[in-house]
Amino acid sequence: MIANAEALLKPLTIKGLTIRNRVMSTSHAPGYGKDGKPQERYQLYHMEKAKGGIGLTMFGGSSSVAIDSPAAPWAQISVADDSVIPYFQQFADRVHGHGAKLMIQLTHMGRRTKWDTENWFPTISASARREPASRTVPRAMDKNDIRRVINSFADAARRCKQGGLDGCEISAAHGHLVDQFWSPSINERTDEYGGGLENRMRFGIEVLSAMREAVGDDYVIGMRMSGDELIADGLSHEECVAIASEYAKRGLVDFLNIVGGQARDHIAHAISLPNMSFPVAPFLYLPSAIKREVEVPIFHAQRVTDLATGARAVAEGHVDMIAMTRAHIADPHLVKKLMEGRDDDIRQCVGAGYCIDRIYVGGDALCLQNAATGREATMPHVIEKANEFRKVVVVGAGPGGLEAARVCAERGHSVVLFEKDSVPGGQVNIAAKAGWREALSGIPRWLFAQVQKKGVDIRLGTEATEAAILAENPDVVIMATGGLPNAGHAKGHEHVVSTWDVLTGKVEPTGTVLLYDEIGGHNAASTAEALAKKGCLVELATHDLQIAQEVGTTNQPIHLRELYKLGVVMTPNMELIEIYPEGNRLIAALRNTMTDAEEERVVDRVVVDYGTLPVEGLFQSLRTRSVNDGETDLDALIAGQPQRWSGQPGFALYRVGDAWTGRNIHAALYDSLRLCKDL
Amino acid sequence: MIPAGTAFSLLILALAALAAGLVARRVRLWKSGSEARLVSAVGRTISAVSADKLIAGLKALPRRYLVDVHHVVGRDPYAARMHALAAGGLLGGSLLALAGLIPVLGMSRLFWAVVALAFAAALAGGFMVGRRRLPEKPARLSGGRFQRLPLYLAAYTGGGLLVALAGVLPPLAPQALLASFGWLGLALAAGGGIGLVLQIDRGPMRHAFAGAAHLVLHPRPGRFEGERATALAALDLDAPRLGAATPADFPVNRLIGFDACIQCGRCETACPAFAAGQPLNPKRLIQDLAAAIEPNATNAAYAGSPYPNARPVAGVGGPALPLVGAGAMIHPDTLWSCTTCRACVEECPMMIEHVDAIVDLRRYQTLELGALPLKAAPPLMELRYADETAGRPLAARTDFAAGLTLPLISARPAEKGPAEVLLWLGEGAYELRYGRTLRALVTLLLKAGVDFAVLGPEERDCGDLARRLGDEATFQRLARANIATLARYSFTRILTADPHALHALRNEYRAFGGEYEVVHHTAFLDELAASGRLTLGALGQARVTYHDPCYLGRYNGEIDAPRRLLDRLGLERLEMERSGKRSMCCGGGGGAPVSDIEGERRIPDIRMGQATATGAAIVAVACPQCSAMLEGVTGERPEVADIAELVLMAVEAAKLPAAQVLA
Repeated sequence: MIANAEALLKPLTIKGLTIRNRVMSTSHAPGYGKDGKPQERYQLYHMEKAKGGIGLTMFGGSSSVAIDSPAAPWAQISVADDSVIPYFQQFADRVHGHGAKLMIQLTHMGRRTKWDTENWFPTISASARREPASRTVPRAMDKNDIRRVINSFADAARRCKQGGLDGCEISAAHGHLVDQFWSPSINERTDEYGGGLENRMRFGIEVLSAMREAVGDDYVIGMRMSGDELIADGLSHEECVAIASEYAKRGLVDFLNIVGGQARDHIAHAISLPNMSFPVAPFLYLPSAIKREVEVPIFHAQRVTDLATGARAVAEGHVDMIAMTRAHIADPHLVKKLMEGRDDDIRQCVGAGYCIDRIYVGGDALCLQNAATGREATMPHVIEKANEFRKVVVVGAGPGGLEAARVCAERGHSVVLFEKDSVPGGQVNIAAKAGWREALSGIPRWLFAQVQKKGVDIRLGTEATEAAILAENPDVVIMATGGLPNAGHAKGHEHVVSTWDVLTGKVEPTGTVLLYDEIGGHNAASTAEALAKKGCLVELATHDLQIAQEVGTTNQPIHLRELYKLGVVMTPNMELIEIYPEGNRLIAALRNTMTDAEEERVVDRVVVDYGTLPVEGLFQSLRTRSVNDGETDLDALIAGQPQRWSGQPGFALYRVGDAWTGRNIHAALYDSLRLCKDL
Repeated sequence: MIPAGTAFSLLILALAALAAGLVARRVRLWKSGSEARLVSAVGRTISAVSADKLIAGLKALPRRYLVDVHHVVGRDPYAARMHALAAGGLLGGSLLALAGLIPVLGMSRLFWAVVALAFAAALAGGFMVGRRRLPEKPARLSGGRFQRLPLYLAAYTGGGLLVALAGVLPPLAPQALLASFGWLGLALAAGGGIGLVLQIDRGPMRHAFAGAAHLVLHPRPGRFEGERATALAALDLDAPRLGAATPADFPVNRLIGFDACIQCGRCETACPAFAAGQPLNPKRLIQDLAAAIEPNATNAAYAGSPYPNARPVAGVGGPALPLVGAGAMIHPDTLWSCTTCRACVEECPMMIEHVDAIVDLRRYQTLELGALPLKAAPPLMELRYADETAGRPLAARTDFAAGLTLPLISARPAEKGPAEVLLWLGEGAYELRYGRTLRALVTLLLKAGVDFAVLGPEERDCGDLARRLGDEATFQRLARANIATLARYSFTRILTADPHALHALRNEYRAFGGEYEVVHHTAFLDELAASGRLTLGALGQARVTYHDPCYLGRYNGEIDAPRRLLDRLGLERLEMERSGKRSMCCGGGGGAPVSDIEGERRIPDIRMGQATATGAAIVAVACPQCSAMLEGVTGERPEVADIAELVLMAVEAAKLPAAQVLA
């Protein structure tokens, strides 16, 4: 049992609203909105957290109050008209049915959005300063804009109340319209809304006053804001404290939800959503400082990945509610598990940031290590027992194999898990060797602990052979043998080494290294970082438009920051076409993908990342003996039906993860979960 | 009439006279105690010194001895046979031989044959006494004078046998030989008899008359009338001295109880603190108390097992000298090691009340000296200021139920009439682990449609901890405050999952005017299941063992309902080596967790070892203390689950198609 757990499990009452415990999830934009409404997928995602014991779940990050703040960019919610109210009612019923409270975030994004979408209205802000993150140049608001937006906020608050939501917050964080007025880095106005802090605070005060008037004093309204913008020309910590005190003193807010930093450009955005390179709870000092100055409850989220940290934050009085938003994406049942004394079963967020990155690369939030999150309609968070118990052999204890073994064991099947390595984890063990990516090892660690707990027959250090598999007399064989690095197709590719060779220490390059990347993921970037830290002079070249193009906005800037700091030469729009030795060095020929101009590099090593190719020898030799010729029934997989060969004499053979085709951890887990949940 | 026979009869007379003198000496020592008092089942005290009470006690003696004492002795059949032969033969033979002074009998061969038979039986008993102690004495038995007992017994009863045989055999053997037989027997009997009689003062024979007197004047006569009689005596807080500092502070009949001890060591075998290597041995404690009633007393004569890891004490005392302290007989750590589990009392064939003695001694330490163990003082301080052992707000007691419906009795509309049950939450409600049990219980009450309510912020600590730690003043204040609160509300019964609260509310509040029907949650859930208000599914084939809470099983006699309820869940129920009323404590009672006296092992580890030995996957508990103590055991071990949690699983399993819940 964790220390201070009782501090988390105390109810909190705000204006007659009693939240059952101190754990919450903050409003965010998972990309689940449909037609501007929180529909089935969105609601089930939050209902799962309610089922899992959360006290308060807030949804709809950046929900729009006005039609010139389009909801489209992150598939968000529009509260700009009454048509959303029935969805709120349905949503509230679902969450209340499991004892949790439900709130929404309302905002006008100001300049932090797109003009070329939805209604094609100009974006607006305090002043006409471009936002680097959205690449938008807004129009400075006039009095009519101000009046209109204030009314929109008031109308939106009324819709929340009518929709049965327990409360709402306005976003005055991450560079939204209210804090665009506050921040001297944006607000250059000379009227009563600009200049001194008192004037800069005016717009927000008018917004909240209008909302109060619309919903009455007994409805919970809070505000999300920064405790320090952490930029030279932005809001200082002292100004943030002054704003918090002033708004609280006026009775405008019933809670304050404090973050550190802002998000106006890529690196600021990455810092405000700290990934695994940051320590846990890096900005806890900010809500703590504000809590000393105000009477209203303080909420806080920012990389609070484990309950022990959350419990400490509450017990020591830094905050009143601890928000564990990404922690709930990894495990929506974490409070329930704590209450049931099963805290060892909590799947802890590793801070991969895949959920947020997905919103920018892919469009919907998914968890790197939990394939059920965001798919509650089809994928179970709690695996049900099967009606008929089978014998399952899983080959490979990487993430895909571990997940297959875990799900099958939860189904009640008798599972044998072969792993030729002496430790489980597969390729994650290699990825975790790269500097700040170490926390990835938490993914197989949890899976392996579950597999052990569920009584899987684990055979580490044992290579599966055809005979060994058949000796188990299995009903199902799942090949999760992963992949091996692809050396690529450039001429002379026998002279290259892989990123695996570097990270595992099989080769230890020195001198000048060309690292060529055709995947655009974390792999090449983190290997480049590792090489540079060992003293190599590294050039990272890629066919893509930029380095680590497939990595999203909370991780890519961190990679770039580190690579710049280490002097890695970054060369996009290049293709590796040939490698050949000259003396004891290598010549690498590159082709500019735009101009076709060829360039040569004289290097000591060429390291490449072309991803992996499946390890499928055993699969090929078993397929003819299997009842299904190793084929997966894709239609059944999508329909959530058992595979059509179930119950036939002999064994059915399937493959998952990189053994099927090289992709990523999430893909491997999803392959396994959706196959095994119906076995 | 044979000359040796007559002489033997006279010897017995002489021995009886000597014994009477020694008894009189002992009785004079008893008189240093305060007025004899009886404790009622609910802890009210009344004077025992009245002719009718004495006569009633005397009349009850045979039954108390033959039924109640032998019920306990008989748990060890060897000891029972041994005692029946030795004591029966010795007393019977001696009384008969005395009758040999009557000429008709003295001349009868048949008479001497009967005497011979009695002494032969006694000799066999004496042989059994020796057999038990030789060649190696079991650790629980005392040595010293006790080790010489078989010798004296053999000499006296063997001598008696020879004398009697000399009266039986005349036609069969030469007169001279028989005469020498008789005189040899007489000499043996005289030697053995004197040895035995001298053991009346300080040796094993003391238990015979002190035990009889103890049965007549037993401080808890209810124990012989089928009552559990376990409520502590209410203390008169206006008394000039609170609790017991010296032997003289104990009532006479309690001093008699100490003298009744036969040092059989059954208590030390049962004592959890002794097993854990803490400095408590109930046998030694009673011996120290008994020794201390003599002027210039020392503990030197004691020859049983010591207090484990004994703290050094001077080992001296007297009727008016302090009992507790490094310069006295008993080290304070000995007092504070006790979990008040009553296992010693349950095992004692002489019906001695060890726990009452310990609590009386603690009362003096706490109320008069303020001399508590370091970590036991803060909870009492918090209780005094905050009515709660950790100073937490009383309103936070219901935090565990946030999100569940938990009706407050203060918010109950008058037209609804009395609540079916008032749910007493207890101290466990503040604990995370136990909160889970209470959530399960509340969920079950809601599912069964029970009309219940809680006191919420009006529920104070029940006072159990304060009372066991000797802080009777705080206990009485809390009891009166809770009784006043309860008086304002209308309910049929009190329901609680905490056996300590149950004991306080059901038994100990009565002395202060609080009379309630109190039901433990296991009994209540069993009722709900029996009446069909809860539908239970089967929990699969899991093996479970039930750990009896001391305050439920031993203190309140409730050992069947929890088992009945567990059996309804379709689990395979296994019994531990010690269970029911003879169960072993978890270590959580009597304030022991806060007193925290150092030993070699932890009591819950020992208990969990017994649970593990059954092969059970689950230890079912029914008490917040047991739950906390057993959950604290580390390493590979069975899961700890309150019965309420298992019942909830079964209720939920009833809805599932496949009953694979615990598989």
